[in-house]
Parts: sequence; structure tokens; C-alpha cells
Amino acid sequence: MKFGLFYEISIPRPWTPEKERTVYNNCLEQVKLADELGFDHVWAVEHHFLEEYSHCSAPELFLTACAMLTKRIQVGHGIVVCVPEFNHPIKIAERTATLDLLSGGRLHVGTGRSATWTELGGFRANPDTTKKSWDEFVRCLPKMWMQETFSYQGEFWSMPERTILPKPYQKPHPPMWVAVTSPGTEIDAAERGLGSLGLSFAGFEEQEKKIKEYRRRIKTCEPVGAFVNEQVATTNFLFCHEDEKVGVEMGKKLGNTFNYLATQLISTREVFSSPSYQSLGLLPALRRAATGPDASEQQTEGMAYGDPARIVRAVKKWESLGVDCINFILNANEVVPQEQVMASLRLFAREVMPVFAKRPANVAAAE
Amino acid sequence: MPLYGTLDITQSSARLPTLAHLDTEAWTLPKAETMQLLIEVPRASTDGLLPKAMHPALPSYVILAVARYPESPTGPFNLAMLRLGSRAGAHPRGFLLGAVASSDTAAKELRARWGFPVETGEVKFLRRHDRVMATVKKGTDTILDCALVNPQPVAGSDVQYINWVTAANAPLDGAIQPLLIQVDPKYTFYRADRGEPQVSTFDATAWNAPGLQLAGPIIGTCCTVDTDLPRIRFVMDPLKPVFLGTRRIRESRADE
Repeated sequence: MKFGLFYEISIPRPWTPEKERTVYNNCLEQVKLADELGFDHVWAVEHHFLEEYSHCSAPELFLTACAMLTKRIQVGHGIVVCVPEFNHPIKIAERTATLDLLSGGRLHVGTGRSATWTELGGFRANPDTTKKSWDEFVRCLPKMWMQETFSYQGEFWSMPERTILPKPYQKPHPPMWVAVTSPGTEIDAAERGLGSLGLSFAGFEEQEKKIKEYRRRIKTCEPVGAFVNEQVATTNFLFCHEDEKVGVEMGKKLGNTFNYLATQLISTREVFSSPSYQSLGLLPALRRAATGPDASEQQTEGMAYGDPARIVRAVKKWESLGVDCINFILNANEVVPQEQVMASLRLFAREVMPVFAKRPANVAAAE
Repeated sequence: MPLYGTLDITQSSARLPTLAHLDTEAWTLPKAETMQLLIEVPRASTDGLLPKAMHPALPSYVILAVARYPESPTGPFNLAMLRLGSRAGAHPRGFLLGAVASSDTAAKELRARWGFPVETGEVKFLRRHDRVMATVKKGTDTILDCALVNPQPVAGSDVQYINWVTAANAPLDGAIQPLLIQVDPKYTFYRADRGEPQVSTFDATAWNAPGLQLAGPIIGTCCTVDTDLPRIRFVMDPLKPVFLGTRRIRESRADE
């Protein structure tokens, strides 16, 4: 089992330059510690216009800072919105390659298409075509990274032959993932040989079904890149405390805050009737299902908060379902004081990580 | 935490519809034709329109809805509504700002039963192959002239209608008091089309939304549905966040 951090970078009102800077600095401090503690990944989302919920609109810059501050932790640029109004594919290829070089080959590239009208409408993107443009982008990216020259004529973008530079440090290219929130996207991931970057907190049963299907289908996939990245990651909240009650209470506060902010987002389906966005169960509903008032005991049991023993039980359950990596959200609207986030990371590294470690945890850093 | 509305409906309760009780009987409305045009509006132009208990939608948007009900307990009528996209706690809602019904009886009943801020006027609804058109007049003034242009078939499952909230006086705990009332119709779809919203006349003041400006169109839908106006299930304190001020009036729709 691998462990990662997952950043939306949520910032409460009222926004001041100092507050935004403080939250960014808090995140960097957490990443630096996580690197020392032996966490495997740090992921940063790409979101735009999502007030309070996510101020992470330039994740490549945040991740560059992370890479510069750390030695070992892998940096996940994800997801990059693969919709032409958001990101030109050439720019994605260039900036990811640059980040891979700067991080010394520590980059993972997550792909996706955005789920909110707030974002799609803000860029005047057509929700009907985001799945199609995502498919074009993920087919092109590995070629843009690997081929000396590249040209393309597609439905959503085109370019004459040019040499896209720089090339990534990792050969043949960085591992590729896709965000899995809408039902069925796990199949899209499997059929293209992409890692499944789960962004919902759906219950054990639903996850198990998805993972089984992913594993089954990826065996016969035709990968978009030069290799198959068969990995299943899921997202969770983390608050680890010696006292189970304190840990659960703070963890619930974190989860409830995050979910309340998530439900304020205008999902595409809420306002834009489209066959491309069938499911209301995009991130808000699925996340609420895990921690909201309707959450079952089993779903709450899957949350990584409480004392170390409780968290070990939750992680073991995810491991038994076939999850390879859990990425943790550490804060939302700064409801968890920074010193408690840091203490939670240390305690998790000291008491939980060794249970799942193939290599010894950095005990000194966790003290 | 998220922004809240700024409207204190208790300061203008005399202008709100008044319900005699919260035991409104449900109406069944079969084979209704409903056009909804969703349009973004500048956030500043919605200032003062949303009750303090609710969160604004970000970006701000309104729903212009015109429906033809060929059958109802009061006979056929057309109804036009303006709703403001918002949140009641975690739930997407359309706060009803203004409405016009084509029959006096329907208007009276909708005010008295669900607290719709509805007046009587002329509401025309025309479904054609190239566009669906609606006009609304109060007296001799046209207050809405709109259309859904180039309708294209979609599946009913592609369309999501969000529930409504109205502001009205109603008896609760032995006193008549201003409340927010949730109206949550259900829908069975027979046909659904999608197209581009077009509005040529919109008199914001006539819809109780002075200053509201229409900006970018999002999408329009026109559907044939069996729908209803159900019994009232939830009311909310207009001044408290809904997670603190919501009262369940009845358990479920099972008694309808």
C-alpha cells in the first residue's frame, strides 16, 4: 500500500493575500514533512473558480515548488483538464515534461475533463464534448513526449509537424492516470491502460465492484502510452490522533466541511442537460455518501480518521479490496490547525505506515 | 463557509402569500409541457433577492420556466415562473422570485396552497418544430418574451429539474409566521428537447427582481412530463442556516 497527499487547496473567506499565502505555505510545509516521513505521492488538482473549495488553479507551479522542496516524494499533476478551452495539449506536454525534469523523474500525470458548470461554463467549454476531447488528448500526450517530431489533425485540435520540447526525464514517459468519479470511467481507465485515480469516497461494495472490473478489463487493454499503468488509487480524509474520539471528531469535522463545500459546486448536470454528464453522483454526491448524514457505518469505517488502530483497520480493508494507494486530504477551509495536521502526519507515519511498509518508515522524522 | 443570502423576509412579511395551513393536498398535473431556460446573471444583480437561510449559486443563475398544464384540479392553465439558482444547505434549489398564472383560479390556489408569489396575467406557450416560444403579459405590458431555439431531442434522463423554495406566511407552532417552503415536484418524462435560450424581453421589476440582469445563456429544455405539486414536506426558518432551521412537516410522499 502506498500513501499520498491530495491537495484541493481550500481557502476560507475572507480572502486576503496573506491568508492565501499562508494556506499555500502550510501545504508546502506538509509536503516537505510527508517527504521526510516516507509518503509516496503528492497530488494537486486543477480547479478554477471554485470559491473556498479549491484555489488550486495552477497546480504545476505548486508541484514545482513541492519538487524543489523535496527529494523523494512523487508529484502528481492531477488532474490536468483535457479540454481545449482549459489547456492546449502542446502546453500540457511541455509543462509536464519540464516538471518531470525539474523533479528528477518524479512526475505522474492525471487526466480528466472537469465536472462542474462553474469551470466548464467559465471557459465556455461545451460539456457535450469533454469525453471526446479527453480521449484525443490522452492518445496524443505519450506521442508528444516520445516522438522526436509530432503532427496531428484531430477533431478538437491540430498542429503541423514540430518538435515538442523538452522531453520528460522518465523514459518512455511518466505514468498516466485518469480521474474516476463518474460511473464507468474506471472502464475507460482500464481500456486505455491508465491508472485509476479514484476521487470519490464511495463505500467498500461499490469500490470493490469497480476495482474488479478495472483489473479484469486492463488485462486485455490497448494502452494509450508505451506501458500499462495498472494502479488503483483512492481518496480519503486523514486525521490521526492518539485518542480515537478526538481523531474521529476532528476527522468528521474535516470531512463534513469538505463535503459541504463540495455540495456548493454547480455540477454540470445541475444546469446543463447533457448525455455526457449523466450522473449526479459526481464528486459532491459520492463524497457526501461517505461522510454525510446518510452515510452507513461501513462507509464511515472506511475513513482514515481516529486513532492509529482504527486507521489501520480502515486501510487494511481498502487494501483487501485491491486498492494500491490512498491519497489523503488533510484539511478543508483550514478547520484543522496546521500544527495538528503536522502531528497527525507524524503519528500516521509512526504507527500506521510501518504496518503496510515494504521499506522501513523514517522513524526519526516521525518523532 | 459559503456565502449566504441577505434578504430578511420577515421585514416584508405583509407582502408574502399566506397559507391557512400546511396540509395542502397534492395536485396531479399530467402531460404538462415545461420549458426551462437557464441563464447566468451577474452576482451583484441578485443582491437582496435570496433569503438569509440560503446560499447563492456560484455562478449566479436564474431559471425562466413556462409550463402548460392541460389538466389540473382547477382546469387547464399556463404558469410562468422566475427562480433564482441557490442552495438550501447542501441541496440545489430554485428560489421562486415571481410567477404569473393564466387563470385567476389557478393563481389564487397556488398562492394559498404553496405560497407562490403568483399574479394573474396572460401566459402564452407555443411549441413549434424550430422553436418553443413563450410570452407573458401583466395587463398590457409584456414582461417576458423568450424562446428555446432549435430544439433537439435528448433523453429525459439527461434533464435534471431542481426543487423549488417559496417564501410565505404559514401557521407553525400556533402562530402565523414567515417561512421558506420546499416544493419538490416529481417528473415522469415522455419527451425532452434541448436548445438555446433566447430572451428578447425581460422586465425584472415585474418579476419582483428589480435590478436583475440576464447575462450568458446556459441551456434550455422543453419536456413533456407527468408532474405534480406535492404536499408540503419541509419548511425552513428564513433567518437560520437550513441545517439548523429545517422542520419536517410530514415523513414522505406516501400519503399523496
